[in-house]
Amino acid sequence: MKLIFEKSIKGRDGYSLPQDLFDNIKIEECLPEYVISKDKKLLSEVSEVDVVRHFTKLSKFNYGLDDGFYPLGSCTMKYNPKINEKLASLSNFIYAHPLAPEETVQGCLEIFYDLNKLLCEITGMDEYTMSPAAGAHGELAGILIMRKYFVDHGDIRHKMLIPDSAHGTNPASAAMGGFQIVEVKSNEKGTVDLIELAELMDEDTVGLMLTNPNTVGLYDEGIEEIEKIVHNKGGLLYYDGANINASLGIIRPGDAGFDVVHLNLHKTFSTPHGGGGPGAGVIGVKKDLIPYLPTPNVAFNSDQKKYYLSDTAEKSIGMVRAFWANFSVLVKTYVWILSMGPDGLYNTSETSIINANYVLAKLKNYYKPAYDRYCGHECTVTGREYKKYGVKTLDIAKRIMDYGMHPPTIYFPHFEPYAEETIMVEPPESESKEILDNFIDIMIKISDEAKTNPELLTTAPHNTPIRRTNDALAIKRAILTYDDELKLKDELKYQEKDIDF
Amino acid sequence: MRYIPSTEEQKKEMLKEIGVSSFEDLIESVPQCLRLKDKLNIPEAISESELEDKIYRIAKKNADFYSMKPLIGAGSYRHFIPEAEKFLLQREEFWTCYTPYQPELSQGTLQSIFEYQSYISRLTKMEVIIPSIYDGASATAEAALMSLRLTHKNKIIVSNLLHPHYRETVKTYLAPHETEIIDLPYKNGLVDMEKLKILIEEDVASVIIQSPNFFGSIENMAEISEIVHSKSVLLINVIVESMSLGILKAPGEIGADIVAGNAQSFGMDLNYGGPHNAYLGTRKQYTRQIPGRIVGETVDVDGKRVFVMTLRAREQDIRREKATSNICTNHNLNVLAANIFLSLIGTEGLYQISLLNTKSAHYLENLLLQTGKFERVFDCPFYNEFLLKSKDDVSSINKKLLENNFVPPLKICEFYQEENMNNVLLFAVTEVLSRDNLNLVAKILSK
Repeated sequence: MKLIFEKSIKGRDGYSLPQDLFDNIKIEECLPEYVISKDKKLLSEVSEVDVVRHFTKLSKFNYGLDDGFYPLGSCTMKYNPKINEKLASLSNFIYAHPLAPEETVQGCLEIFYDLNKLLCEITGMDEYTMSPAAGAHGELAGILIMRKYFVDHGDIRHKMLIPDSAHGTNPASAAMGGFQIVEVKSNEKGTVDLIELAELMDEDTVGLMLTNPNTVGLYDEGIEEIEKIVHNKGGLLYYDGANINASLGIIRPGDAGFDVVHLNLHKTFSTPHGGGGPGAGVIGVKKDLIPYLPTPNVAFNSDQKKYYLSDTAEKSIGMVRAFWANFSVLVKTYVWILSMGPDGLYNTSETSIINANYVLAKLKNYYKPAYDRYCGHECTVTGREYKKYGVKTLDIAKRIMDYGMHPPTIYFPHFEPYAEETIMVEPPESESKEILDNFIDIMIKISDEAKTNPELLTTAPHNTPIRRTNDALAIKRAILTYDDELKLKDELKYQEKDIDF
Repeated sequence: MRYIPSTEEQKKEMLKEIGVSSFEDLIESVPQCLRLKDKLNIPEAISESELEDKIYRIAKKNADFYSMKPLIGAGSYRHFIPEAEKFLLQREEFWTCYTPYQPELSQGTLQSIFEYQSYISRLTKMEVIIPSIYDGASATAEAALMSLRLTHKNKIIVSNLLHPHYRETVKTYLAPHETEIIDLPYKNGLVDMEKLKILIEEDVASVIIQSPNFFGSIENMAEISEIVHSKSVLLINVIVESMSLGILKAPGEIGADIVAGNAQSFGMDLNYGGPHNAYLGTRKQYTRQIPGRIVGETVDVDGKRVFVMTLRAREQDIRREKATSNICTNHNLNVLAANIFLSLIGTEGLYQISLLNTKSAHYLENLLLQTGKFERVFDCPFYNEFLLKSKDDVSSINKKLLENNFVPPLKICEFYQEENMNNVLLFAVTEVLSRDNLNLVAKILSK
């Protein structure tokens, strides 16, 4: 599709300036010549109508959750309630300046405070920070909290244990936190190998980062043993809450002995993913770790009946961002929890677990499960048996698109020999039985196509706005801006049909 | 429950198909002793209409910010946002989708990011743009980490006039890395050049300078660049008010090696501090060490020009602990907001808004000086923020402004405790303040 730059017509505008441009003041009187740019910075010149049509057309090249099933494993693509958006957009919230006097933002602070209490109850933790902007950001904050705790106790440790099934963010965050990563292998059941864990956990190790249910969708049944192994060596347990959609009202990480928890509010707590954020990665901790939370946090002065930003924690790891939090994401989370109540939260996890096991039961004769046992809120099957027909898991995923659906997560997690060519399906509670049945039918049909007409898969997708992309060429050419493209114009030789579709 | 379509009957049916008699059988691996015995102790669900009432009531405990005019910036600026942007942003295809891992179903997101990279590249005159880090502070911290990787050195000089939250975030991020952070003091409202000359040594990885700085003053970046580059040290230019790029020289023009820019001014609501967004810019030769996602152009099997996430071998999902950063979910929808915003204002709009913000800020400064109640703290060129020392107590001034429906300026002593910073206010002016508004401010404060 044409770029906005290719729709630009000199002299067109899409913005209305105020009438009074303070023309009586000369810019030369305000600024010295050496700071002023010689040329105007060239954006594009398009009208409001052009912009609206351009982005509307672009939107039609996207597939969103409201279009249909979006079973991306470990991403919890659940319905984003519309009331959340409306209430997060109230003018008293969106125009609130983060440094406005405290008495003018009592409503914002009340939401911080109340949400903190709700999340503590839901997860069994003692205090939350709302600062981190995303899951990985929360991981980093949580790891820095653990680090500071040990430094403060004069107990310098260097290693972090991370299961091989963990999301890539876990080892990346631990490395940013200055730790050496030690990988813990999964056992034949797809969960943490307790014998290996016991061997690896020592007094130079800060602890273990665990996702539960893990990224294969399986509960670690040895959770009590894991807790003992880590705590007995003085370590701390970190809970990656990416998959907590399977645990609401069933089990709380705090009760299972976890010391630090991060929650992805854009997963379990229904806030939209926005094509890659913004979300929020709030962190909950146990009492001993509260002094190390990032600053500031919201407190309540019961004498004056006023909320305030408390910035006095001297042991804090410090700020992890400017200002306080992704506030509008917090509003949506708060609204969702109040809409669900305790029964709704339990129903969320119960339904998502039933959904995932239903898909697993129906698919397992066609796609071999990575592990043949009941799963949590997502199930992991594999496309291994279609290799002999020349069909890769990638081809299966691309073929799913032809049936008007978003494919599940593929090739993750990956560890041999069980979890190879993986297809991880997460059907959240907002998906009905009819939707799942339709998906199952399509998956079965594709398994049949793989055997009888593999080319249909290896050349898929056929019905999408564009088809398979040449990713190696993207790296080789490294065209990262329109100006890069202009420099290569002669070499690229695009025809009209290649750019205007 | 309206968000959960399955009926109890259907759930039973599904359990039967799974081959279990009850839900309990599915969670047998969750130890009994750890399971919750009681319901969660949170309020019972309320209806949508009750919910609306409740949140409206809470929102009312805030001031009526829509009708209030802000005299504060300090890292977050209220600019006018055209309705077309807000309307387009609500399209579910953009709102509800995931990270564009599958380009066949995500060209909308991908092309928009590419366009935005192109815009920011032109604004900053940097070759490579990482479109989305969480915010200006975390982007500055990522830039600092990037400079450590590029130079294999462990000293960083940070301007004392870098936004205090950014400074603290840099410290937080660098804490585990045994990096020496050297505080570069200021002199007369700008970084102390003599001190910089003394501090700059071959073992320094980078120097972090914000311009316009936290006091609003525009640094002499060309001179700073010359000093920094007299040794093999990288210059990180932080831009907190990106709208200033409409008129001020681009970081690429003055020799910056890495740019960290807060993009909030490009069509993002204040939202009590977030979510906002930031970009990073750098030179092509440093591409291997950039953090975060970037979009590139390629073709599909039919030869169509298409866009994909590229240079991915640096990222956490592939490289794990060897990744350049842990960043995964970022602030992509804010990238879209900024892209739509920049498309709407266009070349001329950006220039005019930038010009207007400069002029109206100077207009207000002049008016306030004329009241005789204020004096300048420093004599530096500024863009749209400036410091004034008040002869009256600043708390009572701010109270008066608040009573007259202005969000008062920042008391700078909240961040800078030097004695001469007592009774000093940091004013910010944008196009949302009319000449009448500014005249009224002066009138209120002249009494």
